[in-house]
Amino acid sequence: MDLTQGFGARSGVVGPVTGLESLNFSDEFRHLVTTMPPENTGGSFTALLEMPVTQAMELLHFTDSSSSQARTVTGDIAPTTLHPFGALTFPSNSLLLDRAARFSVIATEQNCNISGETANSLPSNSGANLDRVKAEPAETDSMVENQNQNYSSGKRKDREKKVKSSTKKTKSSAESDKLPYVHVRARRGQATDNHSLAERARREKINARMKLLQELVPGCDKIQGTALVLDEIINHVQSLQRQVEMLSMRLAAVNPRVDFNLDSILASENGSLMDGSFNGESYHQLQQWPFESYHQPEWGREEDQHQANFSMGSATLHPNQVKMEL
Amino acid sequence: MFYDEAMMNTYNMVKQRFIKKWINTLHMLDSSIEHPLNVTERKNAIRLSSDLAIAATRSGSTVWSRTLISRSGNKTTNLTTNKPMARRILKKARNRMKNRCSTLRRNGNFTAKVGVRKRTELLKSLVPGGELIDDKDYLIRETLDYIVYLRAQVDVMRTVAAVDLVTGNLTNDRTNK
Repeated sequence: MDLTQGFGARSGVVGPVTGLESLNFSDEFRHLVTTMPPENTGGSFTALLEMPVTQAMELLHFTDSSSSQARTVTGDIAPTTLHPFGALTFPSNSLLLDRAARFSVIATEQNCNISGETANSLPSNSGANLDRVKAEPAETDSMVENQNQNYSSGKRKDREKKVKSSTKKTKSSAESDKLPYVHVRARRGQATDNHSLAERARREKINARMKLLQELVPGCDKIQGTALVLDEIINHVQSLQRQVEMLSMRLAAVNPRVDFNLDSILASENGSLMDGSFNGESYHQLQQWPFESYHQPEWGREEDQHQANFSMGSATLHPNQVKMEL
Repeated sequence: MFYDEAMMNTYNMVKQRFIKKWINTLHMLDSSIEHPLNVTERKNAIRLSSDLAIAATRSGSTVWSRTLISRSGNKTTNLTTNKPMARRILKKARNRMKNRCSTLRRNGNFTAKVGVRKRTELLKSLVPGGELIDDKDYLIRETLDYIVYLRAQVDVMRTVAAVDLVTGNLTNDRTNK
């Protein structure tokens, strides 16, 4: 595979914090691993390591069917309608986004709890979130444990029947849940010394995460090969950074001061804006507005014209949308 | 269905935290910068405050967030110093760093054969603090995290820009009349 040449020999010198993190993360994967008979496709790890990834896919497919219904019920229309550049949004991936976001949030909280750092990294308003997030690791861990038990019981029987390569690490399979070691059955013709086993473990881990990245970046799952996937990821990151640049330029152009009236936007929502005068067509005007004025460099005059058409009701509807979306 | 809402809630929570911090950083920056500013300087200030806010939202053990915060710290001192000598020195240092990254980016059309190594170097130059990470495994984790938060940042900024366009003009019109 491509990965082996570049990174097989690396010792991976990481800083103290990163080492701790990778250890915590990989523990979850290690829980999933028991010895099993080798398969024709790929290493013995990938089948097991794919479990969390395919779980995400299942959830994605399951919720996609009901997501359309859910969205209308919850009234979550704002994210898709407020964006002027509609083609750039990725609505179907928001679920996976949230899963990844939750995962990162969980990882943070876990690490913070484990390593004992509290004051500097946890702001006060995340105190409420902490309770919710703590509930989530509990449920993900239980899911992981269930999978682990199913696999270990199934594969133990198969393994006893087949005859494989010389090194046998079978007896410790029952204790693999408790030990921090990763026990792998070596396939025929593969080196069984510690270095190559560790390298193989690393490669499998990297592949699993690449798959997760693939799902996060839209349009990436159909690409074969690591290099092209990395290309897509790089393009995605670059485009997101450029969007931030462009949006900050737009905000700078609108406002004469740096701290534009952001707080007044959010605060004005409390005013007399709860009247439900949902004017449909002026709302469309609202949508096309940012589009047009962005393209025109000289936009003082056009704004005044549009201003006349604008009713107070539809203009003040926006902060409502903001609050709903946020 | 409950799962769907839970994930959406997490994402919205992230966005809410971001926007609160952004308000703070904007005020902070505005009080420390010398006026008047032209559009480019304003844009840089807004971008800086936004990056600082999103890094503070992540406020955890990620390399990218710490890098962004330290970079923003350097930039704010740049903005507020008036000494031309100091500015020149800092500018040179920054350009040197920028040139290195841009030569990597110019060879943007890699063929697949060129391989994983160059691409990972490019990725390292994109993700803040990526050059400090040796372990490819960790780099991918950082990228994943960074993409999620970048997307939240873009979503919020887009919304704010759309809203701001409307309300900003309303207030202007009222003051003019």
